[in-house]
Amino acid sequence: MTFRERLFATIRAARPVLEEPGVLVVGSEVPNLLESGAASTLIVSQDLDIGVPVACHAAVKRRLPELLQYFEPSADEPSVWMPRSPHLLEVNFVGVDASQDPAQAYVFEDDQLPLLVFGALSLVEPGAELNIEGCRIRVPRVAGLLLEKLVTDRTGEKGDRDLLVALGLLMTAGSADLDEFVGAYHRLRPELRHAVRANLTLLSLIDARAGMPDPRPQRAAVATLLQRVEAGTEESP
Amino acid sequence: MSAVFDRRIREQRARVLIRTHGYRQRRHAHGVWLRLRRVLADASAAYAVSEADAQALVAEGHASQPVGAELEPPKLIVTVPADRVLTMAGAAAVPIRMGGELLAAPCLVLVPFGAASPESGVQ
Repeated sequence: MTFRERLFATIRAARPVLEEPGVLVVGSEVPNLLESGAASTLIVSQDLDIGVPVACHAAVKRRLPELLQYFEPSADEPSVWMPRSPHLLEVNFVGVDASQDPAQAYVFEDDQLPLLVFGALSLVEPGAELNIEGCRIRVPRVAGLLLEKLVTDRTGEKGDRDLLVALGLLMTAGSADLDEFVGAYHRLRPELRHAVRANLTLLSLIDARAGMPDPRPQRAAVATLLQRVEAGTEESP
Repeated sequence: MSAVFDRRIREQRARVLIRTHGYRQRRHAHGVWLRLRRVLADASAAYAVSEADAQALVAEGHASQPVGAELEPPKLIVTVPADRVLTMAGAAAVPIRMGGELLAAPCLVLVPFGAASPESGVQ
């Protein structure tokens, strides 16, 4: 079974939640779904991140029983639902709160579906609706998700993998997406802009990893993006 | 709050504190590595060269990167077009990453994007 087949099967299994208004697919699978034909060749991680706006939490919670035939809540981490079949990916629920400061995080307490709400996801806005084998799912606008990936501190192996998600987004971004990214970047406060530039330099220099997008052919695009965000400003490392 | 959530929140807050500290220190030593990465990010290729070759490039008017002088020991980093590198018999390509080969080289030549690298065959 290919990764794409597992991803699509997971989307079908999580359809009741994914089709709930306001819910977004966020994280590493977005670049896969944005590839032509949702080709899903950019394998970075083996889970599906589902962004749940805190205002939609109650509606999502009502749909959870429909997922139980395919997933079960993890005993270790209550926002993670484990697949009952090896043909599915695990599902990770994360909270989205547009009013949250991008540098902060909090726990949305709930006995059934508590959520970690990472402030960086406040930079994410709803984008395209995709039809994946009959399932209508929504992904974020590329600019906001790219900014979210780059504003978050990335360290170690996990950090590199997260940066490769940013790379995958950059590979699918059009010129309008990048214009939007630059505009949103300039609305960040200086410390967060600094974090974005620092992460872009890390992305430029990380090594290729087996089975993941190779960052080296994209180094020129990263350099161009760095020059664009710095253009006309006093900003430098 | 579950123990896992508690741990992840504490980790996230620690990362923010470290980032804030790093940002405050960005003009000082803490920022050197970022400044070095920033210079490397603009380069399509890097070469280790002898000090004599690097000094000759500076004498020709090619730009040296200030961040090299912030390192200890100092490193002479010169940015030159690819066609100039082609004439340097002793230039040894090194991978552009924060790895041993690049960091151990006392003198580096960087080729900026937009100037074809010698491997491309474009002169």
